[in-house]
Amino acid sequence: MEDKDVKKEEHKAPKHGGDNSSDPRIIAFVCNWCTYSGADLAGTSRMKYSDNVRVIKLPCTGRIDPLFIVEAFKKGAKGVLVSGCHPGDCHYTSGNYHSRRKYATFRDLLGYLGVDLDRVEFSWVSASEGNKWVSIINEFTDKIKSLPGKSTDIFTKK
Amino acid sequence: MANTKTDEKLQKIAKDLLESGEVSLVIGYAKGSNLQRMRPVFITKAEDAGKLSFSPHAVQDLAVFLKKPEVKKFGKIGIVVKGCDEKAVNALIQEYQISRDNIKIIGMECNGVIRQNIADKGETNVSESAVYDKCLICEEHIPVLYDFLIESEEPKLVLSGNVKPYSGIEKLESMSAEEKNAFWAKEFDKCIKCYACRQACPLCYCSRCIVEKNMPQWIDTNSEETGNAQWNLIRAYHLSGRCIGCGECERACPVNIPLMLINEKMAKDVYNLFGYKSGLDINAKPVFGVFSESDFNDFIK
Repeated sequence: MEDKDVKKEEHKAPKHGGDNSSDPRIIAFVCNWCTYSGADLAGTSRMKYSDNVRVIKLPCTGRIDPLFIVEAFKKGAKGVLVSGCHPGDCHYTSGNYHSRRKYATFRDLLGYLGVDLDRVEFSWVSASEGNKWVSIINEFTDKIKSLPGKSTDIFTKK
Repeated sequence: MANTKTDEKLQKIAKDLLESGEVSLVIGYAKGSNLQRMRPVFITKAEDAGKLSFSPHAVQDLAVFLKKPEVKKFGKIGIVVKGCDEKAVNALIQEYQISRDNIKIIGMECNGVIRQNIADKGETNVSESAVYDKCLICEEHIPVLYDFLIESEEPKLVLSGNVKPYSGIEKLESMSAEEKNAFWAKEFDKCIKCYACRQACPLCYCSRCIVEKNMPQWIDTNSEETGNAQWNLIRAYHLSGRCIGCGECERACPVNIPLMLINEKMAKDVYNLFGYKSGLDINAKPVFGVFSESDFNDFIK
C-alpha cells in the first residue's frame, strides 16, 4: 500500500516555478558584493523567503544589461528584480550610479512598450541587509501572484 | 531647374574648400530624378561642385555617411547639413567618432523639409501640414554649430498649432499597459528585420551590432513576435539620450512602424530626468557616460 502511494507521488509533476500564475518564477539579477552577500546572510541566518526567486549573480549592477531583463521575460519569468549596492557603496565606485541612470530610462521604455511595471523591480540591498532582502522578495512575490494570470507582454513567447 | 541663390552660395563654398585642399570630399545634396526628390552626392573634384543643390526636399540626413569607413578614409570632409542633421554631427563628435578638426560643416538654414509622400504628389511649398513632425518641434532651424552658414530664401514655417506633432506619444502615455502592449504588438508584428532603421541612423555606428552577436544570441534574428519586440526595444534603448530626432529610421522603415514615437518619448524622458538634450553641445559628456549622486531614485526600493 505504501509503495503505491510513493509511486503516485512520483508521478506528480515536479514542483517548479513559472508553470502557472499561482507559482510564478522570478529572476533576481544581483551584484556580487552587496545584494548577493545580503541574500547569503539571509540564508546563513536561516531566514525563510519565497522559493519562486532564482538568483543570478553578476559582478555589479552596472554589468546588468537591460537585455537580461528582456531575456528573462522572454524565457518565461513573471517578474524581474535588479538589486545592487546602495549609492556610494559600489565596489567599483560608480557602477550602481551608472546603472541607476540606465534603469530610470529603461523602465520608462518598458512601460511605454506595454510591460506592466509591477513586474520589474529595483532595489539596493547591502551585505548586512538580509532582512530587507527577505522582505523585498516576499513582497515582490506576493505582488506578482496578485497580478492577473494573463499579464504577459510582447516579450513573452506565446 | 536653374540654380537658386542658395545653390550658388553652396557651390562656391564647396568649390573653394576643394580647391584649397581644406577638404577632400564634400557630401551634399544634388537634384534627383524629378523636382520633388533630392539625392546625396559625393563631390571630390572642384569642377563637380556645380552639382550641389538644396531645397525643402532635402530630407536625407547626410551625417549617416560620416560613420562609414569608406567615407572616413577621405580624412577631411565637408558636409552639407540642416539643423537636425548637424546635431547628429555634434553627437558623433561628442562620442569621439569623428574629430571636429576633420570636418567642415556647411550649415543650411532650413524651415522644414516636405514629407516625401506629399512631395511626390507635387507639393513644393513648406507648410505646417506638409513638413515632417520633427520640423514642427524644431528649435534649430539654424544649425547650432557651423563653419559656413547659408541663409534660407524660403518663407519661414508658420505654425498655427492645429497640427500636433507626435500626438501619438500623449495618447500612448494615457493608455493602460494592456492597450499599449496591444498597440506595439501590432506595430512590431509588421517588422521584417531588415535593419533599415539601423542603417539609416547616423548614430548607429557599432561595427558589430548587438543583433549580429550570436554567442550568446540575445535577439532572435528571424522575424517573429518576441524577437521583433526585442530588436525594436533595444534599438530604441541604445539610442535613448543619443537620438537627435532626425527621423531617418522612421522614413527608412519599409513597413511604417512609428519609430519616432519611441525615440521622441525617450528623448523627452531623458530631458525630464536629466535635463539633457542630445547633440547641442560638442563639449558636453554623453548623458549615460556620466552620473550625478542626486539622480532620480524614486523607483528603487
